[in-house]
Amino acid sequence: MRLMRTPKKMDVSITNRCNLRCRYCYHFESAGDVEGDLPAAEWLQFFEELNRCAVTEVMLAGGEPFIREDLKEIIGGIVKNRMRFGILSNGTLITDEMAAFLASTGRCNYVQVSIDGSMPGSHDAMRGKGSFAKALEGLMTLRRHGVPAAVRVTIHRKNVHDLEGVAKLLLEDIGLSSFGTNSAGAMGLCRKNAEIVQLTAQDRVVAMETLLRLTKKYNGRIQAMAGPLAEAKGWLEMEQARLEGRETMPNRGFLTGCGCYREHLAVRADGVIAPCTMLSHIELGRINHDNLGEIWRNHDTLNALRQRHHIPLSGFSFCEGCPYVNYCTGNCPGLSYTLTGEVNHPSPDACLRKFLAEGGRLPDRSLLC
Amino acid sequence: MDARNPVANPLIVLREEFDDWAILFDPDTGNAFGLNPTGVFIWKLLDGKHGVEDIVKNLHDEADDVPAEAPDQVRQFVASLEQQGLVGYEVIAGSPA
Repeated sequence: MRLMRTPKKMDVSITNRCNLRCRYCYHFESAGDVEGDLPAAEWLQFFEELNRCAVTEVMLAGGEPFIREDLKEIIGGIVKNRMRFGILSNGTLITDEMAAFLASTGRCNYVQVSIDGSMPGSHDAMRGKGSFAKALEGLMTLRRHGVPAAVRVTIHRKNVHDLEGVAKLLLEDIGLSSFGTNSAGAMGLCRKNAEIVQLTAQDRVVAMETLLRLTKKYNGRIQAMAGPLAEAKGWLEMEQARLEGRETMPNRGFLTGCGCYREHLAVRADGVIAPCTMLSHIELGRINHDNLGEIWRNHDTLNALRQRHHIPLSGFSFCEGCPYVNYCTGNCPGLSYTLTGEVNHPSPDACLRKFLAEGGRLPDRSLLC
Repeated sequence: MDARNPVANPLIVLREEFDDWAILFDPDTGNAFGLNPTGVFIWKLLDGKHGVEDIVKNLHDEADDVPAEAPDQVRQFVASLEQQGLVGYEVIAGSPA
């Protein structure tokens, strides 16, 4: 598979600080939870290198990016260096002044705000009292100023029965064109709080059926790259392949679950370059010390990751005897690492056979759009 | 620099990808335009120092099979880039707009 000369996009954690401590935050207590934020000058210098590498987009994350007092200066560096940007935020610190500034740059692809419920109860249960009202206010502030705003709904035990309300709030009352969903993954703080946060097999069934039904009702305006909606679609495809007795499916049967390190890299808040925010323990180098293009093209660890797709799932004892082995991708290597200690291993969290063994059942195919 | 020669918009990012192909990325709009290897070669000469004739000469120096219509094709290519705001011409103070 061919590799671009430089990454197209960078995911940059500009701060390790956050005003909230959401119970399922993937960042805190993960390898990305590092001491101390870099001064703006370090980021500005790094953005000059990104310009030389023709990187086109920077995704600012954290922690909470809006907590940085010098955020405007950092964004100014992105604009000056011919790039566009996005921001992943909890939404609670977005002011009128900041939204006006973001709009004035003309370079903001979107700000993604996390809204997990249709009411304070289901959102605040995991994110803290008062956070629902503030996040909603942040979202409305962005919209008032014409800043493209996206919403991500993270599904957990306390909001799995509120999804209908969430869809109505976001798509009907607020009028978003769409929103994205995922679920609390077994990373960071979520691992510690798994018993109160993570979906059980039964919760997953409810989430999958509800989301498929809502996706149909709202003409595909609910999206997912991971979590119950993505799983429902993916697993139904796999089940169909099994029923038809297909030998395999394109790009399946190997560790093909993620190819993100073919398009982008990540940087931790301490300036360490990693393949992905979900693989923050893999240290590839440091910004302003190591050459980004060199790392991208020649780092042995990164190039080894890019060869994961040659590793057959049939070689793992975890997959032994699985009727879905030739239709599966092994899913996210970051999740696999946190659960098994191995990057090159299928993720147990996304295993259809395990889900069914735990009492889960697939939704009816008629629910697909 | 000659005001009659085209100049690449300095805001536009040339992102070279596979096999000498590239995209031109406009960060203000987010639009991207694909360039084949000849387009990339020409783009790199849009520095205000090269006119169409110079560019064609450079193409002849670089390749054996440059078609006779090359000057027209280069002109059309530069004109299309200009239409999309990717290329402009230096404005000399006092000269007619």
